[in-house]
Amino acid sequence: MSLNRLSSLLRPGRPLAVIAALALVAVTAGALSSPPPARSQGADVLLNVLATGAKKLNIVIPNFAVLSGPDTSNLSRGMAQVTARDLTFSSLFSVVSDVPPIPTSDPAAVRAAFASFASAGAHAGLQGLVSWRGDRTEVEMRLYDLTSPEFRLIASKKIELPSTQTRRLAHKVADEVVMQFTGEPGIADTKIAYVHGAGGVKELSLMDYDGAGASAVTSNRSINLSPMWSPDTRSLAFTSYMRGYPYLYRMFPFENRPPQVVAGFLGINSSPAFSPDGRFLAMTLSRDGNPEIYVLNLATGAFRRLTTYSGIDTEPTWSPTGREIAFVSERAGGAHVFVMDAEGANVRRLTRAGFNTQPRWSPKGDTIAFTSRQGNFDLWAVSPDGSNLRRLTAGPGNNEGSSWAPNGRHLVFQSSRSGGYQLFTMLADGSEQQPIARMPGESTSAAWSPRLP
Amino acid sequence: MAPRRGSALLFAVPVLALSLFLVGCPKRPATTAASAPPPTGSPSPSAAAPSTAPSPSMTPSPVAPSTSPTNPPAPSEFRATDNLKDVFFDFDKYDIRANDAKILDTNATWLKSNDNLVLIEGHCDERGTNEYNLALGERRAKATMNYLVSQGVQASRITIISYGKERPTCTEHTESCWAQNRRAHFLVKAR
Repeated sequence: MSLNRLSSLLRPGRPLAVIAALALVAVTAGALSSPPPARSQGADVLLNVLATGAKKLNIVIPNFAVLSGPDTSNLSRGMAQVTARDLTFSSLFSVVSDVPPIPTSDPAAVRAAFASFASAGAHAGLQGLVSWRGDRTEVEMRLYDLTSPEFRLIASKKIELPSTQTRRLAHKVADEVVMQFTGEPGIADTKIAYVHGAGGVKELSLMDYDGAGASAVTSNRSINLSPMWSPDTRSLAFTSYMRGYPYLYRMFPFENRPPQVVAGFLGINSSPAFSPDGRFLAMTLSRDGNPEIYVLNLATGAFRRLTTYSGIDTEPTWSPTGREIAFVSERAGGAHVFVMDAEGANVRRLTRAGFNTQPRWSPKGDTIAFTSRQGNFDLWAVSPDGSNLRRLTAGPGNNEGSSWAPNGRHLVFQSSRSGGYQLFTMLADGSEQQPIARMPGESTSAAWSPRLP
Repeated sequence: MAPRRGSALLFAVPVLALSLFLVGCPKRPATTAASAPPPTGSPSPSAAAPSTAPSPSMTPSPVAPSTSPTNPPAPSEFRATDNLKDVFFDFDKYDIRANDAKILDTNATWLKSNDNLVLIEGHCDERGTNEYNLALGERRAKATMNYLVSQGVQASRITIISYGKERPTCTEHTESCWAQNRRAHFLVKAR
């Protein structure tokens, strides 16, 4: 078993004792075949900690130490705080931060600091060493196993970015820590696209996954809907009324070029979804008389129609293998979630009760989240074979419009629990629901990006 | 081992909240520059592809769908009229109700004696998803169009547009308000 398998075991809802037992097997087997030393050390620490019955790994994150250059804005402390918040959000760690930096030169002092952390219950310690080099900033992260008597070094890595991106640098440190312990990088270096506004003007915006750095993507004073990321994170597909009728566009939020019309047929051009390999774009078009699902080959421009029902078919979402598409259809009466293969054949029904829309296939493949109206709107989940139907939210207000984090462990969604719609996150089992950031006006239709390159 | 001076670090209470640290956002350059051109009053060259070719393999360019002489006028070119009355729909339905059929009969009579182009807007209430409501509004506009055509109005005079739940006339979160929003609305343009 690989360490990737290990990370897939580390998901909410699974008894931790089971995780630990399974994962110990995983590490043992992995070590026998091809031991990647750094990773298996981190995984070993995590698994041993979980085996003791602990629910999370205790990690101490002192303020980063500045090795060279000025730190007039106290960013080394701020970066440690961002990393700490990321690791807390991951739900794998219990974090202590806002501690003075670990001394960098005196080995005895380093040892003393680690010893005090260990005696307070820390299982791991993260040291960050910051070097300011003009317009570049480097962080060397060192991760220590505080459960071992010698406080062994689990891993060290240097990460460098432009000095304008120190917050992103801190996210990358957090993602590397998660990588060291689980075999899969974290999701802190991601963006969330969303629709902002109401009352006839809705614009697309972008923010960091934690709500920082919100910025406008469109400013056409029109209605812009349904942003979806391309797998390379370079572009967003979305529906816009910027030219009067609802056409499907693609734009490149990090590049200075105008949006492209992807589909401008009579009727609706909506509900885009990139295939996992980025070669195809599924969408809903009504050009043939009623809303049907089509797949556009982005290289050739060829459209292929997948559905033929005379009523509504919409909201396609790809399985991570690209072999299947879940979608919404009223072919069984009401609105229900169905699955078909990527050629449109072998349709099977997934939901039976309620009014079910917005299916979102988990990037891990094993779960489809969707919105169900049974009174209010709430988020539910079901396995792709129709089993394991479970409810993720139970009010208050409406809870809708989910989007998966790239690791399949978190969902972002919109909730009216505190009045107008705001964006919230939760773990995949519905626990740890929390607002991202309170924006003025309403925020809806969140799309969590894949990991940034 | 070291003294236990660190025992003040207790892990029972996970992390403190992140305070003000908003400096230096890790953004790539030019995040906001690429916004769309403003809406124009006239049809753009790439505005719409023909709707008359239902073949699934019909392939307009994915970047700029081919223009067509049958391009409809922009919605902004149509005007409201008191001569055409709205019709309304039940929740998640798009069939024409009996009372509304009488309204459409009256609308059809007026349209047959007034040679305007007509834009039928399909609207939904606020409940449910943007995408599903776009489809539902499309079906409402289409059902309304089909009824008018069955009463002798030329299909070539009619354009439909779905606004889904995006343009409600009533913004309260009540059934009476929702019922007003589940509608087909008419605009006209002189030929």
